[in-house]
Amino acid sequence: MDLTIFLLALFDGISYAALVFIVALGLTLIFGVMRILNVAHGSLYAIGAYATVSLTGFVLSLGLAPVLSFPLMLISAVLVGVLLGGPIEWLLLRRIYDKPEVLQLLVTFAVFMILEDVQRLVWGTQPYFQASALQALGNVTLFGVTYTVYQLILLSVVAMGLLFGLRFFLRHTVIGKLILATTEDREAAQSIGIDADRVFLFTFIVGAVLAGLGGALASPTTSILPGMGADMIVLSFAVVATAGLGQIEGAAVAALLIGLGRSFAIYVWPEVAVLVPYLIMVLVLLVRPQGLFGTSVARKI
Amino acid sequence: MNAMNRPDAAPPPLLETRDLLIKFGGVTAADHVSMQIEAGKNLAIIGPNGAGKTTFLNICTGWLKPHKGKVFLEGEDITPLPPRKIVRRGVARAFQIPQLFTEHTALENLLISAAAREGLRNPLQNLHNISQRDEMMHLLDLVHCTDVADRVVVELSEGQRKLIDIAVALALKPRLLLMDEPTSGVASSQKHEVMEILVGALAEAGVTSVFVEHDMGIVERHADEVAVWNAGNVQLRGTPREILEHPDVIRDVIGEEVA
Repeated sequence: MDLTIFLLALFDGISYAALVFIVALGLTLIFGVMRILNVAHGSLYAIGAYATVSLTGFVLSLGLAPVLSFPLMLISAVLVGVLLGGPIEWLLLRRIYDKPEVLQLLVTFAVFMILEDVQRLVWGTQPYFQASALQALGNVTLFGVTYTVYQLILLSVVAMGLLFGLRFFLRHTVIGKLILATTEDREAAQSIGIDADRVFLFTFIVGAVLAGLGGALASPTTSILPGMGADMIVLSFAVVATAGLGQIEGAAVAALLIGLGRSFAIYVWPEVAVLVPYLIMVLVLLVRPQGLFGTSVARKI
Repeated sequence: MNAMNRPDAAPPPLLETRDLLIKFGGVTAADHVSMQIEAGKNLAIIGPNGAGKTTFLNICTGWLKPHKGKVFLEGEDITPLPPRKIVRRGVARAFQIPQLFTEHTALENLLISAAAREGLRNPLQNLHNISQRDEMMHLLDLVHCTDVADRVVVELSEGQRKLIDIAVALALKPRLLLMDEPTSGVASSQKHEVMEILVGALAEAGVTSVFVEHDMGIVERHADEVAVWNAGNVQLRGTPREILEHPDVIRDVIGEEVA
């Protein structure tokens, strides 16, 4: 493998890992706090992408500057989190926190299926392309390899920012501590007057915004088409499971591992590239069933 | 005419229950309990296991809803409110096993409690910088735990956890604190010391307390008043001396404790 190929695979892996990490971060946050594996997370990712493409297309059709697609990504993500994530938690999940995991999984899977059809209904089955954000930032040449600034730098910076931002938010701010306290012991939280329902709703919306943001950020780099949500939920689940459920920093390491594994496989052994993320997951889980960073200690109650 | 305007009308009791009824299957855990708790005293609840003592605390704090009857806080009906709203109105609860956030430090537990009390005025502020920090350090001082402020709760002894649990409850600025066996799990040589600190802290904070207790030595030394529970209702009520010398109590309650 010559240096150019090596660097290309490295850059592919990093930018891909950054995207998957952002989505996995939302999934693992929701699981960590609510103990629910939200399959519908994949749909929120896809709808974040569709919403960004539609909004960007509309703004560009008005003759406005392409850089506006950046704020539109954020707006799409927040809309997805609040308008879809909010009602999903409030109307459905709130009723099933004390039910068996199988039922919870089935309910979120049902929401996923419904939202898949909603996407076909609203956006049809034709793929969409909208790369204005990618073009707006131009290219960078590193060690003779030219890559887009958007994928190599912006995505990595956003992913790192979210990782450290969420860590700081949870460990140091008042609201973060209230979330951690509610996660640790819901009854104790309520007995000191914390509104656990609101804490869960807020956390779920934050997680859903991250899914939407992942989709929004992915939209300029890929074609938007039905099924992208399914691909992403499986992949981000592989990341979350490899890291250990609920492990935020671990998800970053697992995303890099899986992202790099996949991108190097594409250059070295393309036939198995699709399988690589899952091979990594299976290998890790065979050795450490609780994931790379998970603890096997049983939770209180 | 409004009762509030009559100067001779006695103020409503701090907490009052009227005719509480609750059944679990065939067991009547609260059998028409009518009880008044006046401000400013430490009331001990004693009685055999299964008499409905903890059930009474759970109903007063909203964790259990009675099938019949009502709970009034200073004359206001709080029966339908969820636990967290009852806490906000000034009735706090400490459980038999301290309900602390064990992965956080003692001080953080108090700060979380203060933040929950104050609501989210500035949700992104650093928890350690909230304006109630000095107040919380004072509470830790009241329960003699200043030296373990920055220790994670899992590292502390059961006695320290009990005291910090009480401080967490006091951080909510309650008017009434209901406690389930505040000294259970504490080494017997330390029980009186823990109780001494606890009663002192309650007096200093001006908090009325009700505590379920099995240890008659604790009841005798630390309660102002005793209520005897039996078969889901209050059988007797009086000063510790009156109650502990009462032949029925000696036969039904103390006899069982000794056995």
